[in-house]
Amino acid sequence: MTWFKNLSTGKKVLLCVGLWIALVIVVYALTGSSGKNDEYQPQNEFQLDPWVSIHIGGLDLSINKAVLYLFLTAAATTATMIWIARKMRQRPNNVQTAVEAVYDLANNNITRGNMPAEYARKWFPFVGALFFFLLFANLIGYIPLPTNSHETTSIFGFEIPSFALYAATANISVPLVLTLVVWFSYHVEGVRARGVRGYLATFIPSGTPGLLKPLLFVIEVISHFVRIISLSVRIFANLLAGHLLILFMAGGMVTLLGLAALGVVTLPVAIVFFIFETVLIAGLQAFIFATLTAIYLGGAVSEAGH
Amino acid sequence: MHALQVIGAGGGDFLVKPGVGVMVWTLIAFGVTILLLRKFAFPPIQEALDKRRVTIEQSIEHAEQTRKEADALLREYRERLREAREQADDIVVRARRGAEKVHEDAIVEAKRSREEMMEQTRRDIQQETRRALDQIRSEVADLTVLATEKVTRKTLDDADHRRLIEEALEEFDFSELAGDERTGAATNGGERS
Repeated sequence: MTWFKNLSTGKKVLLCVGLWIALVIVVYALTGSSGKNDEYQPQNEFQLDPWVSIHIGGLDLSINKAVLYLFLTAAATTATMIWIARKMRQRPNNVQTAVEAVYDLANNNITRGNMPAEYARKWFPFVGALFFFLLFANLIGYIPLPTNSHETTSIFGFEIPSFALYAATANISVPLVLTLVVWFSYHVEGVRARGVRGYLATFIPSGTPGLLKPLLFVIEVISHFVRIISLSVRIFANLLAGHLLILFMAGGMVTLLGLAALGVVTLPVAIVFFIFETVLIAGLQAFIFATLTAIYLGGAVSEAGH
Repeated sequence: MHALQVIGAGGGDFLVKPGVGVMVWTLIAFGVTILLLRKFAFPPIQEALDKRRVTIEQSIEHAEQTRKEADALLREYRERLREAREQADDIVVRARRGAEKVHEDAIVEAKRSREEMMEQTRRDIQQETRRALDQIRSEVADLTVLATEKVTRKTLDDADHRRLIEEALEEFDFSELAGDERTGAATNGGERS
């Protein structure tokens, strides 16, 4: 292998890529266009089938995959946090240090950094719970769980649902309703802080010429409504896109196109995306959602408007 | 591209269609989470963090206090050391001065006592000299009387002659004997011979 070490970095990369392409060609020559499945519908990975049908009045409260993930998220969030809280030590171990760092991020950075101290005390449980809930929801979304009710797989002779990736936050309903809670909360808090007239007055920046006032007010109202979309769709789209990318790269494309050899190329990409999503996107999107929540709340109550 | 077409054609609308049921479940799940976290998770964590912060602050304060005390102590010791050194220097200086004074006193005393002794000796010598001169004078008078008697073969009337001789001897100046004995002696001898 000494000859390999003696090559320059560029040549090493070229050699590896060449070997990779050769591998693709070999696999293609062996498998041809096998593996095509016209029945396969990738979007069905995100299909919500009612597993336990519950209807109350006109409301469909059936338990489906999203609800299962919500339960898992709530259970994992509360169990982890309470477990850590019970084990708080004066001299922390590594896990406690990590949780403390995240807690401190939620408390000081996200909440206190964006609103006055008395509101931070009042709203931290909400913002903090939101952050941890979304963080766990996103992270659980990258653990393969046997949740595919269309396909089954056999493990030690038992037929169980196929393993699949799904996330509560990859469903628009979840971030949308949380966004609505945030949206109403910050408006209510703004009105409580300065009354209806006073709060609406903050929509118009001071020093605006009289003629522009109605226009600016309308723009501001629209921007508040746009927040509902932007806040919810940001996390939803990120998570859905991440899951779709992993899905397609890890086999979806191969199945749809019937090119088994393509898997040699896409599988490493899927792994890279998986790591990228879990390490960065899951935490980042939870952080952004919580931070924007705190900013909206802070903006509604602070003296300078927003 | 095929895949995207499939999503579009196969009906992926549900991907972006909100469902009220999931929303209600979300509110329930999040509501339970926030209640539990607020009641059982956040307060103990906050309390532990606050406690640690207080402990750290106290430790820092305590350390600062200790440092200050140590500094004060060090300053005090330095001050004391300086004082002690000054005192020691003072003592040494005083002792040296005392010793010098004793030494000088001793010299002065010794000189004085030597001079006294010399003075005493001188006085003794003068006294002795005077006594010797008186004795010589009386011896000379006697010898003269004796010699005169021998020469004249007759006894001199003691009182008369003695008076005469003494008158004659008065004319001799013996004082030179007291000043310079040898000269005096020589003069005496010369006079006598």
